[in-house]
Amino acid sequence: MSLAKFAVAAVAISMPLAALGAGTHGGGHGHSAKSGEPGKASDVSRSITVEMYDNYYEPEAIEVKPGETVRFLVQNKGQLVHEFNIGTPDMHEAHQKEMMMMVEHGAIQGGKLNHDMMEMDMGHGKSMKHDDPNSVLLEPGESQEIIWTFSEKGNIEFACNVPGHYQAGMYGEVNFN
Amino acid sequence: MMRTLVAGALSLLLPAIGLAGEYNLTVDRVTIDTGEFVKEGVGYNGTSPGPTLRFKEGEEVSINVTNNLDEMTSIHWHGLILPFEQDGVPGISFPGIKPGETFTYRFPITQSGTYWFHSHSGFQEPEGASGSIIIEPEGREPFRYDREYVVQLTDKHPHASERVMRNLKITPDYYNRKQQTVGEFFSDVSENGFLSTVKERLAWGDMRMMQADVEDLQGFTGMINGKGPEQNWTGLFEPGERIRLRFINSSAMTYFDIRIPGLKMTVVQADGNNVQPVNVDEFRIGVAETYDVIVRPKDEQAYTIFAESMGRSGYARATLAPEEGMEAPVPGLREPARLTMADMGGMPGMDHGDMGSANKMAEMPDMDHSNMEGMDHSAMMMPEGGASDPFYAKGSGLVPTAANGGKFLSYADLKAQKPLYEEREPAREIELRLTGNMERYTWSINGVKYEDAEPIRLKYGERVRFKFVNETMMTHPMHLHGMWSILDVGAGQWNPIKHTVSVQPGTTVYMETEVDAPGQWAFHCHLTYHMAAGMFRKVIVEGGPESTQAAFSEQPSEIGGDV
Repeated sequence: MSLAKFAVAAVAISMPLAALGAGTHGGGHGHSAKSGEPGKASDVSRSITVEMYDNYYEPEAIEVKPGETVRFLVQNKGQLVHEFNIGTPDMHEAHQKEMMMMVEHGAIQGGKLNHDMMEMDMGHGKSMKHDDPNSVLLEPGESQEIIWTFSEKGNIEFACNVPGHYQAGMYGEVNFN
Repeated sequence: MMRTLVAGALSLLLPAIGLAGEYNLTVDRVTIDTGEFVKEGVGYNGTSPGPTLRFKEGEEVSINVTNNLDEMTSIHWHGLILPFEQDGVPGISFPGIKPGETFTYRFPITQSGTYWFHSHSGFQEPEGASGSIIIEPEGREPFRYDREYVVQLTDKHPHASERVMRNLKITPDYYNRKQQTVGEFFSDVSENGFLSTVKERLAWGDMRMMQADVEDLQGFTGMINGKGPEQNWTGLFEPGERIRLRFINSSAMTYFDIRIPGLKMTVVQADGNNVQPVNVDEFRIGVAETYDVIVRPKDEQAYTIFAESMGRSGYARATLAPEEGMEAPVPGLREPARLTMADMGGMPGMDHGDMGSANKMAEMPDMDHSNMEGMDHSAMMMPEGGASDPFYAKGSGLVPTAANGGKFLSYADLKAQKPLYEEREPAREIELRLTGNMERYTWSINGVKYEDAEPIRLKYGERVRFKFVNETMMTHPMHLHGMWSILDVGAGQWNPIKHTVSVQPGTTVYMETEVDAPGQWAFHCHLTYHMAAGMFRKVIVEGGPESTQAAFSEQPSEIGGDV
């Protein structure tokens, strides 16, 4: 991998993040304007277990109340790396470009995550670290929690943005009622 | 007689299963209208292509096939894992189906996905005798879609297949209209002094090469689901829906490069087996292969499914649209691919040690580089845009690139969604050199054609590694019946499971097979006229459960030549 290629990659990866940041009118949480924001454990009204298989979720739809704070227990029961990401379809599309880069640079390899590669300095203070608060990226067998406070009604999906997975149908609807 | 025996054997072997389906197919003379010409052909239930058979994994099927032709027929269930007596190859699996006779195939469905069926007798298949198979899985699919369509490709030639074969035998370039690439390329080279430098090494006279060999059969009309480009088969959708397209290439001779301008395609299955999804802009489908893709048209507009032949001599076209009658622009054909030195890398008469690849050639110490000035290096050594694909010779002129500059699927992208077998070392390697003589239109394996060849003997329970070495300038889609072809893409246990493996000119491709199906099977190039010319082997699996051992092994093999 040449330095020049890394530089290109670094610029490209920083772009969508910057673009999303700009969309929040100076707010602290990059994604809060649309899908909600990280929640506090004390606000949690209930827990939902989401199992990730190759390549689909169980369940494939969840019901929430506007403004509700939910604890998601996300478990990867498949043999491939999967993501659980709460966002709008546009946010998912932007994130898929970042995930594509992680695959191209070997940070995601089928059933494995290469953490060294994810930590690597891509220049401009960026890395391929997958640390967005609205998302977890898990190897087979791993589990993780997300506490999320949903915004008011919106077009929200939970999705796996590992290349090809969302397109193949690894997404679920968030229905507000 | 045969029928009762098989039925008797099955009823002993199989426990009573609740799920059973009976299907009826008639084999008929039909008329095929391509929109450009009308010809007589062979079809099923009165149409060509025949119907889509829908099975369910776990089902026990009975398929009554009635032969309404005045000649023998047969049906091979392409890609289905079944007892060898049900595989439908005359002379290998069974004697065939006589005129007026009804033969009942009976077998359990043990898999799911997109497959197809076709006659394995004479030239009935290129004459139209094929149809599609969809098998629903027992559990859920590992993907989601709102609707699905079979997209079955064929290449209809105005000449009857018997006549095509005769013409090819007499004049191998009879259907080769472009008449340029290689000859033109070499005349350029020779003006620049290159040829004189490497003349001896090339053993030019022994290369047995014809011009414009990318396709040896041109002049066809590409069809989708029985419709020519003007007849425009149309699949309807609601904007925002996910559509599963089940592409089947049931062409006699034609590879297609498929794209849908304006839509990304997510490849989710190859040859009936799920693969880890890959987003692509375009993909190449070899003869006899299948690919399932998911597309999601979001706009209220028509999209063209454009299938351009690999040699750019023709195309098939269909449409996805919100309403019948809507159309999108139909792209023009791109410039034909040009074979390069690399594509001849495996030709007999060439010094393999030094000439294995274009790269090595460029490094040849005794080459006079000063004479090479003015040569178009880009045209010779590299395909347009310098694209590379590990499944094409380095510098091959056949490496496909996407029309929109995006992603073109490679075999290297195919990874099994779920490994079917545990990884283990193969017991042995069997080398199969794909050989031929273009000037005489003979095609063979290891230089020996089917009639003169000993069968390949495998042992039940072993895992074997097949090494294909393509010594010709044509691409050969190699199809092993009865057992899976685990294509080596370097992904270990994630190597994809296929039934047909394309081997590009000048390349060596490996696949492994778990020998888990007793009996005897066909193994051949799926290009109709290559198969008919002898690029074909019988495979005998020795051993295995006693009741299923080869019962036909002593049968004369002459009918087997009738493929």
